[in-house]
Amino acid sequence: MSLAKRCLAEVVGTAILVYFGAGAAAITLMISKGSSPPNPFNIGIGALGGLGDWFAIGMAFAIAIAGVIYALGRVSGAHINPAVTIALWATRRFPSGEVIPYIVAQLIGASLGSLLFAASAGSDAVMVGGLGATAPFPGISFGQAVLAEAIGTFLLMLVIMGVAVDERAPQGFAGLIIGLTVGGVITTTGNIAGSSLNPARTFGPYLIDHIMGGPVLWSHYPIYVIGPVLGALVAVFLYDMLAKE
Amino acid sequence: MRCYLCALEGKTTEAVAICIVCGMGVCMDHLVRDEIEVWEGGYPFPSKKLKRRLPRILCKPCYAVYHEG
Repeated sequence: MSLAKRCLAEVVGTAILVYFGAGAAAITLMISKGSSPPNPFNIGIGALGGLGDWFAIGMAFAIAIAGVIYALGRVSGAHINPAVTIALWATRRFPSGEVIPYIVAQLIGASLGSLLFAASAGSDAVMVGGLGATAPFPGISFGQAVLAEAIGTFLLMLVIMGVAVDERAPQGFAGLIIGLTVGGVITTTGNIAGSSLNPARTFGPYLIDHIMGGPVLWSHYPIYVIGPVLGALVAVFLYDMLAKE
Repeated sequence: MRCYLCALEGKTTEAVAICIVCGMGVCMDHLVRDEIEVWEGGYPFPSKKLKRRLPRILCKPCYAVYHEG
């Protein structure tokens, strides 16, 4: 399979992730518009069904991720996340020359997903829903946000190692379990820093929000690079250490 | 072992292979040697088609059914 075809698969996969996952967060904010959240920590997601709002967003991500892994996993590996690509490269499982093309493809795909979502849902998706962009919630510091993103991505990468990379892993479960893991992480940590776990997933909504007059959040972007990459790297090296005879 | 299909025709021919699907012993005239592609890898790595293909022997009736479906 040529690198161009694999990069195209990463574009499509990441676009699906952002359209359906981040799109679910934007729709939740659009639905709760005008409601009175009970406290400042609640910005609208949770106003309707408490943690159930986050569970619903998590399930949207879970189903999209599972679908992408089963559909495109054999084509490109369906990383759809620069943190995953970097972690696999760092442990010499992914060729150096393909890291940048994969990451560029993921960033393009995420932007395309956000653009298509804005085109589908209208201007409120940008102005009210912010296209599901992630940012630290009220009272959450930079360090706390990085920590939450790192811990969430640590679990994601640990599960990828255990159910997919390890040759002893049971066959056929990777998409389902990895999707559900992301869904679970989002349910718990979504209201801390958005639970991006993925630099591309945050990049797409940030770029299209900026272009279309929505919120400009680039000052938060380092959180969504440092946290996920750090968490993924700790997970791969820890897994290799634990799994070695 | 003798070829089952030859036996049905009243002939006695030594079998040279066994059909991997039905287990029938077959002679050179009643077998098909097929080759299938082999892929390795998969999520989170791209699958790769191996250069070598996997050979297998089928009797003609099984080969016909396999390629009909």
